[in-house]
Amino acid sequence: MSQPQPPTQEQLDAYIRTRLALAGVDLAMLPETPDPATGVPTRDQALRSLRSFVTAGPVAIAGWTPPVSGAPAAVYAQQAAPPLLYPSITEAWTGKADGK
Amino acid sequence: MSDSGGNRRALNRRVFLAGSAAASAAAVSGIALAPPAAAAPVASRTPPPTPPHLPDIDVRDAARRDPTEATLAEAAVLMGRRKLKATTLVEAYLDRIATYDSTYQAYSEVTGKSALAAARAADRLGGRRGVLRGIPLCIKDNYFTRGVPTRCNSYIFEDFVPDYDATAVARLTAAGGIVLGKGQMGPLATTRATTPNGTVTTVNAWTPDNPATDPGGSSTGPATAVAGRLAASSIGTQTGGSIVLPANRQNLTGLKPTMGRVSAYGVIPLSYTRDHPGPLARDAMDAALMLAVLAGPDPHDPRTQGLPRLPDLVRAATPVVSKGKVRLRRATRIGVPADFLNTATEVRKAFLDRLSAIPGVTLVNVTYPDDWSLLTGSFNDARLAERTEPFRHWLREDPAKFGVSLLSWLQGLMLSGDEWITAQRAKNHLLREVLDGVMARCDVLLQTGPVPFDILGLPEIAFPVGFTAGAVPAGVILGGQPYEEDRLLEVAAAYQAVTDWHTRRPANPARTAATANGRSAASATAAGRPRLTAEQAAASSA
Repeated sequence: MSQPQPPTQEQLDAYIRTRLALAGVDLAMLPETPDPATGVPTRDQALRSLRSFVTAGPVAIAGWTPPVSGAPAAVYAQQAAPPLLYPSITEAWTGKADGK
Repeated sequence: MSDSGGNRRALNRRVFLAGSAAASAAAVSGIALAPPAAAAPVASRTPPPTPPHLPDIDVRDAARRDPTEATLAEAAVLMGRRKLKATTLVEAYLDRIATYDSTYQAYSEVTGKSALAAARAADRLGGRRGVLRGIPLCIKDNYFTRGVPTRCNSYIFEDFVPDYDATAVARLTAAGGIVLGKGQMGPLATTRATTPNGTVTTVNAWTPDNPATDPGGSSTGPATAVAGRLAASSIGTQTGGSIVLPANRQNLTGLKPTMGRVSAYGVIPLSYTRDHPGPLARDAMDAALMLAVLAGPDPHDPRTQGLPRLPDLVRAATPVVSKGKVRLRRATRIGVPADFLNTATEVRKAFLDRLSAIPGVTLVNVTYPDDWSLLTGSFNDARLAERTEPFRHWLREDPAKFGVSLLSWLQGLMLSGDEWITAQRAKNHLLREVLDGVMARCDVLLQTGPVPFDILGLPEIAFPVGFTAGAVPAGVILGGQPYEEDRLLEVAAAYQAVTDWHTRRPANPARTAATANGRSAASATAAGRPRLTAEQAAASSA
């Protein structure tokens, strides 16, 4: 399987700005220099932080699949560990947790 | 070892397997929130809890001399015996707030006038109110309080005055609790308490002259209020350790219940699937009484429906003495992870020695699965999309309103939908790893961090076990099976019956003037207070 080239910093910045713009968030509303009154990060701080974020957490999450036995693994992984918003509540609703 | 609870879980697991196909199908089709009809060993509605009874406990001499020294239970017992009036108790707390809160900065809003009126009414009513009759409480400032500003320590909510009480607040006051005020908190429930621009406000009650000492967050004010004897008990919220961490750092007993035990209706959201309301208290009994009042089904919060009956928490928090010796109410296997002694080693060793000497305790060494740090570390980022979603309006309107906390709200926009779903799939996988793997040989598990059980919605209790070299409290966190808060209380209560860490109180700070009504006079004094940067706020965010 071919691997895409890691994005450049310019590509990351463009991606971040585009994503923010599509969500209706205008980075230009942040100050260019630190604003002690509000403590809000500058545009550069925000961009630097988001650049670091998008190349770490989401990548690690997207790279994970539930461990399965059987081949092809991707097919069996689709059947494993159905997504749960509320794991503890599901334990109760399925009768696996009954309290005392 | 006999363990009827474990047998019951095994039976229910078998019952579940028969209906698991239907449950899985429901989850895949996106209706995982609906109780599955095919697997119906549970009632469709959570049974309403039985009102807690007041325990018949001995009241310490210190509590008789100074009502602010009393635990919630001691104060309630004294009032039941007509040895203490609600008015006296509320006035005593308001006096301390007036004297010391300019240093502690535990409160963002003090409701002295209404608290005194409620106390007078409670005294007139005598014993005709609930178990919390006349008990002064601090409410974290992310709970809606009718007619009282609810700022969540953010510019976003600086002018917000709700027109109804959060369900948790309504339950407390219906049981007779008196709201003394709103507890200072990390901006939008993220970090230790700071102003929205990052300037530290609330201090650790044990080091009031050193604001650099971490008081724990984000329920900082509610913790400092109880530790500094500015409230008998308090409620906080936990998304990433925000109850148990301030409890540990300020010598308190904090109880984060299982998801759904307490309604989150009327709580300003941080990460909706992980926001847990719960008490910060002076000992296990107080935590039990508070949770017994807070818990129960709420038509406004579907997550509270269809859950197991609330156990008798007061009984669970009552130590059992057999032949003059404290023992556990039920034999309990306590899991100790390999890295438990990596921090606060001496204190934790002493804790394990004392704990293991209690009859009924069996310590069990446990190991984490290989993917533990990935599933509880990188996957923790998935929560950020949840905080962003209900705040898009303000992100578009004026992102500066997020102040020092903005970065993690922007980060939430950078996670795609498929990645968020993968994180929910990983929750299921992690749940099985915890319940069927890590906890397969134990009933409760000592924690080395709150996040794994926050991700899963499992209950945790924090309680004090000693002091570090800097005379700062040290505590531990114990995690439990879903809806088994009683087991956690049993262990904490037995440990507290053979130790006195939980009865120790910090010395008073130097006296400074403040006001007992309206906003704390100290809230504007920022001189000498450290300040968090936006990057620090993002890195330490709940």
